[in-house]
Amino acid sequence: MNEIAGVGAYVPRLYLPADAYREAWGKSGAAGVERVAIPDADEDTLTMAVEAGWRALAAADVDPLEVEHLAFATTTPPADEEESTVRLASLLGIPKAVSTRQYGGGTSAGAAALAATLDTTGPALVVVSESPEGTPESDEGAGAGAGAVALVLDEDGPLVVDGVGEFGDPYPGTRFRRRGHSETESIGITQYERDAYTSAIGGAVDVLGTTVSDVDAVALTSPDGKLPYRAARTLGVSTAQIASGTVVSQTGDTGAAGPFLGLASALEDGASSVLLVGYGGGAGATALSLSADGDVPTRLALDGDTELSYAEALRRRGTITGEEPEGGGAYVSVPTWRQTIPQRHRLVAGRCRDCEMLSFPPEGACAACGSLGGYEAISLAGEGTVEAATRIGQGGAPPEFVEQQQRSGSFAVAVVAFDGPEGDETVSIPAQVVQSPVGTPTIGDRVEAVPRRIYEQEGVVRYGFKVIPTAAER
Amino acid sequence: MREAYIVGAGQSAYGAFPNESYRSLFATAYEEAMDSAGGVDPEDVDEAVIGSLGVGGRQLGLSGPAVTEHVGLHGVPSSRIENACAASGYAVRQAVQAVKSGMADVAIAGGYEVMTDMSGDVAKYWLGVSGETEWERLTGTTFSGVYAQMASAYLDAYDATPDHFSKVAVKNHANGAKNPKAHLGFECSLEDAQNAPVVADPLNLYHCCPTSDGAAAVIVASEDVASSCDDAVRVAGVGAASERVGLFQRESYTSIESTARAAESAYEMAGLGPDDVDFAEVHDCFAIAELLAYEDLGFCERGGAATLIDDGVTELDGDLPVNPSGGLKSKGHPIGATGAGQVVEAFKQLTGHADDRQVSGATVGLTHNVGGSGGAAVVHVLEGGVL
Repeated sequence: MNEIAGVGAYVPRLYLPADAYREAWGKSGAAGVERVAIPDADEDTLTMAVEAGWRALAAADVDPLEVEHLAFATTTPPADEEESTVRLASLLGIPKAVSTRQYGGGTSAGAAALAATLDTTGPALVVVSESPEGTPESDEGAGAGAGAVALVLDEDGPLVVDGVGEFGDPYPGTRFRRRGHSETESIGITQYERDAYTSAIGGAVDVLGTTVSDVDAVALTSPDGKLPYRAARTLGVSTAQIASGTVVSQTGDTGAAGPFLGLASALEDGASSVLLVGYGGGAGATALSLSADGDVPTRLALDGDTELSYAEALRRRGTITGEEPEGGGAYVSVPTWRQTIPQRHRLVAGRCRDCEMLSFPPEGACAACGSLGGYEAISLAGEGTVEAATRIGQGGAPPEFVEQQQRSGSFAVAVVAFDGPEGDETVSIPAQVVQSPVGTPTIGDRVEAVPRRIYEQEGVVRYGFKVIPTAAER
Repeated sequence: MREAYIVGAGQSAYGAFPNESYRSLFATAYEEAMDSAGGVDPEDVDEAVIGSLGVGGRQLGLSGPAVTEHVGLHGVPSSRIENACAASGYAVRQAVQAVKSGMADVAIAGGYEVMTDMSGDVAKYWLGVSGETEWERLTGTTFSGVYAQMASAYLDAYDATPDHFSKVAVKNHANGAKNPKAHLGFECSLEDAQNAPVVADPLNLYHCCPTSDGAAAVIVASEDVASSCDDAVRVAGVGAASERVGLFQRESYTSIESTARAAESAYEMAGLGPDDVDFAEVHDCFAIAELLAYEDLGFCERGGAATLIDDGVTELDGDLPVNPSGGLKSKGHPIGATGAGQVVEAFKQLTGHADDRQVSGATVGLTHNVGGSGGAAVVHVLEGGVL
């Protein structure tokens, strides 16, 4: 199965211009990077993966329930050890019994995941999501961006993977992260790193064995905005071909997701043949040649629209903020939270078996008729209308949200009448409104559910939904 | 069932008291209550019911005996009742039930809370504990946020503005300035109230009550006991009701159904209606809550609360004074003490002991105490000059 039926992408809408970094640090920062995408305080690799994943499934017109294999590639999972794919599947509404694989280790992980998934039966979803970090003074820190791409593989699709080539040769110290650390680093020997990059990519393309000089776009892992162009001569392609498959200047370093964002951008621009190479420090590379027969369905949110100052960017990343205060009082245990995962991840409401009214959460006596006869599970589409709203300022939030407020400031909360499946029926659910770029919604505004980190306690991230005004959704 | 009377009532000052404890505050309230009830001795007390949310933890278990043993009510059956901010309103109701049923001739109902002796961070953990925890709280909302959402819906539904919230604050501060036990016993101008910092839009700081330390106690007795006391106020009607804890689970965001149900029961038991009420102590934890109370208690039609406050009807010299004590806004809100404290004010008003804030000619008073954003409500209709 080597055909791609749909592509989805998500880049956070917040961005930091390179000028702001230069002004703060008095040095140039990452080469060839004009702006970097910054995840909001309640976004991470997993929420971006969901954002890209549902867009790909929608583009391909594939129901999550039909998915038979899920591949997730990231070098920056929310936890160093945990089955991230399980929560990703749950958040996307993919059934529990599908096979899942997680790929990591280096920034070639996305290309490796796609190559490996070619051997599975479909439909399959490949998601590549990254939010690398670096110490603020380093080029890695200056250039760190964020983004996610998802591909739906199926028996039939307009974008075909024609071949795969893989190559590895030891170059220790070229791009790595120490055990237990969150910052990517390199030993910083310029020519050594260029050699590692060009020889690994060149090696993989040699193994691929196809002519690449005439492709419409070349999409390479892009640690910065200059390195990809260093590979032009080795590959025998022009810098224009590389430019057609490179978005690092607008997103920053997006690790394993970088070549896929380049692919998505090239497809949007009408490319019909693409060379995609994932490079990982150390060094290794996986090259894939792709060709399109007709338009490839895409659903892409690539462009940022909300500029941050350097201080705001440090706050959003959590570099200069504190943690949840110690205390007591109300507490929701992890097992209790788990019981509500269908509601948190997929907005599963209930239809009363007696009066057929909707309830949320679907438990206890029916709010409409008082029946204890139970509920039929109903998945809400995630669109609704604001019924009541306010804004919670600094100091007004429960302790679970103190860190979020330090990172992203006050937030709006609303009671939302979510649309039910039948006619004009609705069910009311409280939800936080995502920060950017909008203010407090007014009653009557339409909103949509989006996946977000709700809070983290005891080291466990609680994922759920927030809402974004429909007018602001990309 | 036989009649029950309030024969004594007292409270500590409300405020921030780093040199007091929950026991010493309760002792102050208890002693004032006993002093006001000439004719009742400690050994006459058959039952004690103490309201507290337990803010800060403290003596979270056995909080009833912890205070009643401290004041020397040794051996008296004592228990804590928890119904968020309606805890001691419900404690009064329990004491009335004990007397009416004949199981007790004298019952003490009281409450306490200490809320100002912890850091802001620790306080955050306790202020939201009576909201719906799993969904409402975890959108990042505490009570100011939930009442602000109700306020947003009210402003959307009716011809009212945030200025009406500010007028509630001005009125209650004017009354509280006459109450020596008030936490925020100062007057405020309309401009002060209008220009205060936003807490949760559309509510600003002057639309929100403070958190306070304090205690209150009332003594409920049978007619036999009451007839030998200096003062007695008849408990003419009692009503209480529950509602879904989370706002999103309710039919209306512009009415607190538990209040309406509690009021209906209390009026029915009393054989009286809103027109018979001479003054009311209502649960104004937020200014919007006082406006909703006007409507839910039947003081005006739906949407009519703004006109009531505009016309000065609920001012101290109006036709229906509301919160002559200053209310939660000015008198203060030590959660577990608030409901009993409202009855203390009603007792003083109905026995002519309210000094500068005395409502002239008051014979029927109403108290209204709400837990959380409306998950529990209790209403008492009290009648003076009967015995």
